[in-house]
Amino acid sequence: MFGLIKTWKALEAKGIMGINRRNADYVLKYNKRHLYPIVDDKIITKERAIQAGINVPEMYGVIDTEKGIDKLREIIGDRPDFVVKPAQGAGGDGILVIADRFEDRYRTVSGKIISHEEIEQQISSILSGLYSLGGHRDRALIEYRVTPDQIFKSISYEGVPDIRIIVLMGYPVMAMLRLPTRQSGGKANLHQGAIGVGVDLATGVTLRGTWLNNKITKHPDTTNAVDGVQLPNWDGFMRLAAGCYELCGLGYIGVDMVLDQEKGPLILELNARPGLNIQIANDCGLTHRAHAVEARLAELAAKGIQETPEERMRFAQELFGHIPAAPL
Amino acid sequence: MRSLNLHLKVLITLLVSLGILITAYQIFILGIPMTEDETDDLWNIDARVEFQANPREPVKLQMFVPPLNQDYVSLNESFISNNYGVSVNRAEGNRKVTWSARRASGKQTLYYRLVLTKRYSGEQAKASGPIFRDSIPVEGAEKIAAEALLAPIRQHSADVETFISETIKRVNNENDDNAKLLLGGDASTANKAQAIELLLSIAHVPMQRVHTIRLAAEIQQSPELWLRSFNGDRWLYFNPETGEQGLPTDRMVWWTGDEPLVSVEGGRQPQVSFSLNNSEMNAIRLAKLTDENTDADFLEYSLYGLPLQTQQTFMIMVMIPIGVLVILILRNLGGLQTLGTFTPVLIALAFRETQLGFGIILFTVITAAGLSLRSYLEHLKLQMLPRLSVVLTFVVVLIAVISLFSHKLGLERGLSVALFPMVILTMTIERLSITWEERGGSHAFKVAVGTLFAATLAHLLMSVPELVYFVFTFPAILLILVGFMLAMGRYRGYRLTELFRFKAFLKD
Repeated sequence: MFGLIKTWKALEAKGIMGINRRNADYVLKYNKRHLYPIVDDKIITKERAIQAGINVPEMYGVIDTEKGIDKLREIIGDRPDFVVKPAQGAGGDGILVIADRFEDRYRTVSGKIISHEEIEQQISSILSGLYSLGGHRDRALIEYRVTPDQIFKSISYEGVPDIRIIVLMGYPVMAMLRLPTRQSGGKANLHQGAIGVGVDLATGVTLRGTWLNNKITKHPDTTNAVDGVQLPNWDGFMRLAAGCYELCGLGYIGVDMVLDQEKGPLILELNARPGLNIQIANDCGLTHRAHAVEARLAELAAKGIQETPEERMRFAQELFGHIPAAPL
Repeated sequence: MRSLNLHLKVLITLLVSLGILITAYQIFILGIPMTEDETDDLWNIDARVEFQANPREPVKLQMFVPPLNQDYVSLNESFISNNYGVSVNRAEGNRKVTWSARRASGKQTLYYRLVLTKRYSGEQAKASGPIFRDSIPVEGAEKIAAEALLAPIRQHSADVETFISETIKRVNNENDDNAKLLLGGDASTANKAQAIELLLSIAHVPMQRVHTIRLAAEIQQSPELWLRSFNGDRWLYFNPETGEQGLPTDRMVWWTGDEPLVSVEGGRQPQVSFSLNNSEMNAIRLAKLTDENTDADFLEYSLYGLPLQTQQTFMIMVMIPIGVLVILILRNLGGLQTLGTFTPVLIALAFRETQLGFGIILFTVITAAGLSLRSYLEHLKLQMLPRLSVVLTFVVVLIAVISLFSHKLGLERGLSVALFPMVILTMTIERLSITWEERGGSHAFKVAVGTLFAATLAHLLMSVPELVYFVFTFPAILLILVGFMLAMGRYRGYRLTELFRFKAFLKD
């Protein structure tokens, strides 16, 4: 009992945010319910992002009816690789990644050869709501296939590593690199077994990581150290994340991004209820950082100033960045 | 945000104090018992009247019966007699029953039976009485003795109350010659009362005789004489033997005045014997009975005013918030993962019909079977809706098979699966398989165990009879619950499981 109280006090002192606090003070306070569809539907997110001039994987086309499936060939054109996704899918289900063409058939990223009809069948399943939350009718999205930057080769296992930045009212407060593992089946979701690695907001150098709620320093599959890796084009990621507030209007979001070999940082999706494990990855609580941002907002509101994404990014980097390397 | 917090605090304070006030009013003002087991004394008083009737003469017997204007409520009153007409009339604060018959002969026996209880009396009428009286004329030696007695009484008293009790003490002093003279050698209580009345009348203090019955079971008794006097505000009662003031709580006034208890015309030797016995009665039933017998409406606007069948439904319904509260605490304070908020409560309700142990087994077996079918169907790549339909149909068949087998094996328990638990079971399987789809098998398992645990706890709490009674009788408790739930809505502390989840932070 006393142990628990001690744990409670210690966590409180470190500013670790619990689910109740996240919900009461941030999600409920800053995220208006009617704006949720913007982040729940990947197509709407993408359209908004394009309008706001934010980089996203290029959308080749949308199929929303059975009849529309006929247009698939037209949408693909002669592109060798592309991705088919459900607009409201969860947990990465229903995503079909075509890496190449082979004769008149397609080769998926895992090397399986499938026919055009099989892709059409997959799209039909997506439309019927097979992969959407609660089985609602859904839309299928055909988009550019992201090729992860070579930098991740050594510290990731299959799949596409992504970068999650928590953004409070446009201020990036914490960042994490998510690396798929053998256990997560190539997916980058932490609760499915992916690794989260903290990232210094100012420099883009990785810190230590978390795997299944524990702290780790090495990737369990490749055994390469996950810390001390410099992520390229870090300010690009920060700029993208900071700009997402204007894009969706939600005040507390997790922005998921990827680093494409050619196109650089791209936004994959937004999350209105970002998880709390990012704190373990960064070995740092969210509460203190969030309070600092709220203090800054109050200060600016008093002066009547509204900061640009660039200014917000600089502010966050000054305040939260430059973490001394953890002694091993 | 601050104004919102203030708003919330005001709302919580308002709800909680309203809830406490209403409940306190019910408990302390209306006197509604706090537990179902609370019992109240129920007194059964029999007065048996015997007399010899004169032959060939009409008979008329009058007897005082309790006026019932005090702290007592009559639940039932009956006059038992053969071939007698009965009428009851009130006079001077007394009630008198008159039995009459044209012709009777030999030994006659009449009964008066009263069932009463001490509780749930309505507003007391304001007492009033005389505060002045004329002196009883007295002559000679007695006059001198009375005056000799009164002089020290005046000296030793301050007001009516002390005056009377001093008088009673003097009269009861066996060594006082003046008192002896007034009593004339007869030391009966009635005679003492007469002497006391005489003394008091000289001082112009009015006095009334009060005849009481002691509420004590299994003892032989006849009405006990007390004296009372009105001090301008209330009646003061005195024991004529000791001067002790105040009527003990177990005395009940039968009648007041100088007349005898019973008077008979056309008969001889009337005798009244009292027998009392008490029984304990469930307090809330007694309250209901009292309600019916008086114009008091203690329970009129409570849930007891509903028809019995509706009451039974409400007894279950009012417990749902308690179940929800359990889930709320387990989820938001404990961090237990359950299937939604209401599902565990519904399962807890289903346990009511299946019983707990059997319910858990049934739930586990059917859910496990349903989910394994689901994972088999996964290989067939069916769409969600058809797949769920297959699962639900399978569940119905499974329940039917279980019922059939347990019936054949003589376990009637298996048949307790009514429509309601079945609907809840299928719903649970549907939700669980959606969770499986979205978050994976191990998470679904965790959620299922959490749900079962929460449902069990909620069921146990919801079926505590004392709690059911309390919430049903004092529904304002629910307002307090709402206050607590509102407060929980802005709770930002850690959940119990988070203390373990974030333990990694403290491992340095």
